[in-house]
Amino acid sequence: MFPLLILHVVLGAVVVALGDRLGRRAFAVAAIAPAATLAWLIPQLGGIVDGDPVTSSISWVSGLDLALELRADAFSAVMLLLVSVIGLAVCAYALGYFGAGKAGVGRLAGLMTIFAGSMSGLVLSDHLLSLFVFWELTSVTSYLLIGNDDTNPRARDAGLQALLITGSGGLVMLAGLVLLGQSAGTYRLSELVASPPAGAVSTTALMLVLIGAFTKSAQWPFSSWLPGAMVAPTPISTYLHAATMVKAGVYLVARLAPVFATTAGWRPVVLAVGSVTMIVGGWRALRQVDLKVLLAHGTVSQLGFMMILVGAGTYGLAQAAVVVLLAHGAFKAALFMVVGVIDHQTHTRDIRRLAGFGPGWGSVKVTAVLAAASMAGVPPLLGFIAKEKALLSAIDGHFIGAWWVVAAIVVGSVLTFSYSARFVLGVFGRLTDESAVDAEHPLVGPEVAVPSRAFTAPGLILAVFSLAAGLAPVLVDSLVAEATRSLHPEAKPKAVVLWAGFNSALALSVIVIAVGVVAALAGRRVEAAQTAFHRPVAKLPTADRSFWVLLQSVLRAAKRTTRIVQNGSLPIYLMVILGVSALAPIVPAATGLDELPVFADTWLHIPLAALIVAAAVGSTIVHRRIAAALMLGAAGYGMAGLYVVQGAPDLALTQFAIETLATVLFVLVLQVLPRTFTDRSAAVIAPVRIVVAAAVGVSVFVFSLAASQSRADVDQASISAEMLERSVPDGKGANVVNVILVDFRGLDTLGEITVLLVAGLGVVALARTVHRKRLETTSLVPSPVVDASARVLFASILALSIYFLFAGHNQPGGGFVGGLTAGAAISLLYIAGGNPAVRRLLPVRPWTVLGGGLLIAVVTAIVPILLGGAVLEHALFEAELPLLGKIKTTSALPFDIGVFLVVIGLVLMAYEAFGDDPEDSEDSAGSRAVVTS
Amino acid sequence: MSTASLVPLPIVLPLFGAALSVVLGRSRVAQRAISLAVLAAMAVVSVALLVEADREGHVVQVAGGWSAPLGIALVVDRLAGIMLVVSTIVLLAVMIYAVGQGSQDQERVSFHPLYLVLAAGVSASFITGDLFNLFVAFEMMLAASYVLITLGGRPDQVRSGMTYVVISLVASTLFISVLALLYAATGTVNMADLSVRLAEVDPGLRAAFSVMLLVVFGIKAGLFPLFFWLPDSYPTAPGPVTAIFAGLLTKVGVYAIIRTQLLMFDTPEWLGTTLLWVAGSTMVVGVLGAIAQDDMKRILAFHIISQIGYMILGLGLLTVAGIAAAVFYVIHHIIVKTTLFLVAGLVDRRAGTSRLSEMGGLVRSAPVIAALFAVPALSLAGLPPFSGFLAKFALVDAGLDADRWVIVAVSLAVGLFTLFSMTKIWAGVFWGERDSEPTRAPLVGGRLGSPVWMVIATGGLVAASLAFSIWAGPLHELSLRAAADLMDPARYVDAVLGGRP
Repeated sequence: MFPLLILHVVLGAVVVALGDRLGRRAFAVAAIAPAATLAWLIPQLGGIVDGDPVTSSISWVSGLDLALELRADAFSAVMLLLVSVIGLAVCAYALGYFGAGKAGVGRLAGLMTIFAGSMSGLVLSDHLLSLFVFWELTSVTSYLLIGNDDTNPRARDAGLQALLITGSGGLVMLAGLVLLGQSAGTYRLSELVASPPAGAVSTTALMLVLIGAFTKSAQWPFSSWLPGAMVAPTPISTYLHAATMVKAGVYLVARLAPVFATTAGWRPVVLAVGSVTMIVGGWRALRQVDLKVLLAHGTVSQLGFMMILVGAGTYGLAQAAVVVLLAHGAFKAALFMVVGVIDHQTHTRDIRRLAGFGPGWGSVKVTAVLAAASMAGVPPLLGFIAKEKALLSAIDGHFIGAWWVVAAIVVGSVLTFSYSARFVLGVFGRLTDESAVDAEHPLVGPEVAVPSRAFTAPGLILAVFSLAAGLAPVLVDSLVAEATRSLHPEAKPKAVVLWAGFNSALALSVIVIAVGVVAALAGRRVEAAQTAFHRPVAKLPTADRSFWVLLQSVLRAAKRTTRIVQNGSLPIYLMVILGVSALAPIVPAATGLDELPVFADTWLHIPLAALIVAAAVGSTIVHRRIAAALMLGAAGYGMAGLYVVQGAPDLALTQFAIETLATVLFVLVLQVLPRTFTDRSAAVIAPVRIVVAAAVGVSVFVFSLAASQSRADVDQASISAEMLERSVPDGKGANVVNVILVDFRGLDTLGEITVLLVAGLGVVALARTVHRKRLETTSLVPSPVVDASARVLFASILALSIYFLFAGHNQPGGGFVGGLTAGAAISLLYIAGGNPAVRRLLPVRPWTVLGGGLLIAVVTAIVPILLGGAVLEHALFEAELPLLGKIKTTSALPFDIGVFLVVIGLVLMAYEAFGDDPEDSEDSAGSRAVVTS
Repeated sequence: MSTASLVPLPIVLPLFGAALSVVLGRSRVAQRAISLAVLAAMAVVSVALLVEADREGHVVQVAGGWSAPLGIALVVDRLAGIMLVVSTIVLLAVMIYAVGQGSQDQERVSFHPLYLVLAAGVSASFITGDLFNLFVAFEMMLAASYVLITLGGRPDQVRSGMTYVVISLVASTLFISVLALLYAATGTVNMADLSVRLAEVDPGLRAAFSVMLLVVFGIKAGLFPLFFWLPDSYPTAPGPVTAIFAGLLTKVGVYAIIRTQLLMFDTPEWLGTTLLWVAGSTMVVGVLGAIAQDDMKRILAFHIISQIGYMILGLGLLTVAGIAAAVFYVIHHIIVKTTLFLVAGLVDRRAGTSRLSEMGGLVRSAPVIAALFAVPALSLAGLPPFSGFLAKFALVDAGLDADRWVIVAVSLAVGLFTLFSMTKIWAGVFWGERDSEPTRAPLVGGRLGSPVWMVIATGGLVAASLAFSIWAGPLHELSLRAAADLMDPARYVDAVLGGRP
């Protein structure tokens, strides 16, 4: 069976891909798929009718009990016959329906093939979840097919409505299926039916599943999408929205009803929904002037009929349902084909403008009469047999509500007879109405071109089948009986016969037909009565209108929510984030707090802390940018001071160097910005800002206290103790800070210098966006004296930086400090002579320095891996060198050189980007390549 | 060379490539070759690591040859391995796409090194077993992203880049503060060690740390109410950059949440409930934002948010099935989301705009793009048989199994809205006719209507998501094993600390 489904998908995809290259012949190619289904099914049919189902399965996600399990029993075979026979007929019909040059036909044919595959999978699934998979696929293909005429907004809307209604039902159903599967311990339909779960969960689950089935089978109040879907080309409407897809819900209910019909709530819900659908659908059909929409409402009505039959859960009604399925498939497809032929030849489907057709239309008329008679339940057609069977079984049905079912069927059947008559009268031109006819919309009559025989044949064949099966029900009897048994294993179905004797069902049929004939004869008066009835009802919202109103209000709500949440203001976003971060941890953290700590260990802490706080607060108050930058620098110096007090000269040195360099760079950058801040944070008023800032401060404060006290409560040795201990013996360095940077936590340093590299690249990129024009040269007229002294100073500071670099492992210093010092030297050069001076003394590209530095560091990290060690594992080298004597160093040195170079590279990049005379580094590096690429 | 020595390669290889790429910035050909070679090598290494992690449970290397917690532990467990494989595949595909696009934004000298640094940062986030190193990894990733987001240099890019940079810097500041406090409280930053030591800390303080880390990573991941910046920032960046941000960066945040919460904290019931609330709000607000948009990229950007909710839902269930579903979802989402943004790039190029109201009819003029969109779009909406259905089904199954009915109902409803917004894109972009002239001239070229390598890269990812569907069984089992590891942090701690307490 799987190859069959795969054939559908592949064939469909190929036809879609070929697009309009095949023209309408696409449908000839598409016909291969239903033909293959038939070719597969017919040889198996004997065994299936003997009660021997064919199974096949593929496990998919076993952890989720998700599997594709197929099982073709007789009921599935009935559905599969519908799908394939009508599929074949529709393909043949479509060849006549579509003109030669019609665009989008290939897509239609291909999608229809994929749909056929999904529908086949649906009716073959023996696993709730694989059924769901195919179920959703039919919804999606239906969406694409309805909207295929995509330039027509009505088609797009109809597709959307169909998808959203069946899609939401599908999701509700999914929840139900999962609950059902979980409470039953299996998703396999055959096992589920054999040992059904009970209890509140499974009852809920069933209701959810029913909602899904109702949406798919267009039950009231979810039926509005089906008449809308009639905007699709007639072959599609015939196939999906009359003969096959809309029966999926009926199919699923039929599978579940035999065991679950007695569950609390099942029968009341299904029978009520089914009968309302049947009657409302019939009533609406009676009011239509568009033949196709008339049929669509008729389909809704018939689906309600089928829902009653399958939902009641007795085998007699189930048997009737199987006959209705077959009968409806045949007559409704035939009727749609008739409408398609009329539409194709006359370009109208309005019964008020059809004035009857000429002699060449005989086969169309025969088709219309036979199929409509079957629909109306007139003997000796299959539709009659189906209805008789239904009435008889309902009268004999021993369940509460059986009489309700009888009544609903009788009322529904009267309506069905009436709209069937209306259809036939319309086709024969008996319902013309002058008020709908004008110059642009003339009457169409006998002069209309006669349709080709190939075009009318498929419908005729189906109509003739309705007659043949009615006259000789033995044709379908054994299949129907076995299909009933596959739903109700204990069933003893009686034979399906045309003449069942004089009984109450026959009496009811006579009444139905009699009332129907009277109603048809009094057509105008019935219409008047309907109009009178509808005047008050028209004010009530229809399901269709409600759908669009609901959708619009959801969209409005979405827009409103988004406008509030997504107001585009950075200050507000920040306030929310900071507010959450302040409020989230404070309560739990405060519970960990037991006493206030000692706030200052030495008196030196007090002025330093005051400096930091004052500078930090100051930077938020001042208006001039340069002042704020200087304040930040002051706060940084205060931090460095704290490091000194705490005995960390290395950190202090690094911090001082960073702050100095950063301030110089700030000054450089601030040249190109306005002198004062513009207040952009008006979106958040000042008091709110102050409150949030204070909350964050308090929160961090409390959190810090609680965190630092925790160590006192639980004695946990800090990792730093081990670092101090192992620095000299294992790290081969007396300066523990440097050993941490290049060795213990060298990987962090590697990451951080990468960040520096990125910063360098970013500076260049940003600078380019800010200003391409050269900065006005501010002061930098090179003076020989300044120049010479700068050179001397540069050389000595550079020497110091190199000393820092090499001595760093054992004394204060290291690559980072060294690089920053060299950066200071470069700043000096820049101040003396601008970028030309820098370039003269350092004739290397900043890009090379930056990249080269990282390259050296990374290579130091990678080499140990190649030698079988860990990343960044360092080795000790000792060498006897002339003059210098014995040299002892570790491979941490090249790593540190890399750090050193990256820092220098970054400084050089910054000057190149923002300094005067900025050579566009970007262009100088890549201009040629851009041209060639 | 044992497999353990491969552990640092996903970090150092791209860094090596980035450095080389800067040095060889004059040659575009060399830069492209380096990027592609490095990313391909990363993919191979990642697969090897995942295979080994799945066999051994954990593959550990401590940098510098030290032992943990002194040195920085690098750990590849099943989750990290999965993330590595998925992210490198996506990174490679987007790089191919960018090279195929070959227009100005991507061909700035700094694009290639930045991209590789981003790749290194992402990998490092997955591999590291050290919280401070995680911070550094985030910094690499973020620093590169700051520059990438503004690489085009257009004023709107700089403006939205500004939002991104400021918010990210605030998040980083919060992260480093929490890190300092954690170190103050426990004396260690090694995550395995933290797992052991935090257990002895006062429960209130522990809860505070747990919540703060959730906030810090929640900003990155885009959780409600911390995500507001995201839809404003992502869509303006150059196409491939947006794709990688959308596909990967938020998921690094999700990864960090999963990793830190499950490894370091005892995840009490209230945290799970909180997470479910957050998940629900994130989904709903995100999807409402999506259906309110008229711009393809913005719709997709809002969907990042709503989809993050699904992942957090899985985590919030605090069951093996739930976390497995979350992991499963992450795999699907990274691939599909990236693909959708790549398609958005193709559409933008082909239509000259990404506003739905300004285009239409691409199903006829660009059927290849329509096909490339249809699969990931249906997948994102959770329709079977595509990956999104499987991922969502896993969540629904786990949620109902844990009796969390409300959140399951919410997630299904959000799924419907997701479907709706995908039809909005479909109807706006591919159906109908163009109502007005686009702002830029559409670019048509190549036999497929778009540059061949862009189509191939996008198609490759579409194929990957289909492969996810086909091999969902083994992938789900892998996710289950990963989730079982995550729910039992002692395994991780043993693997990293060995005999040490």
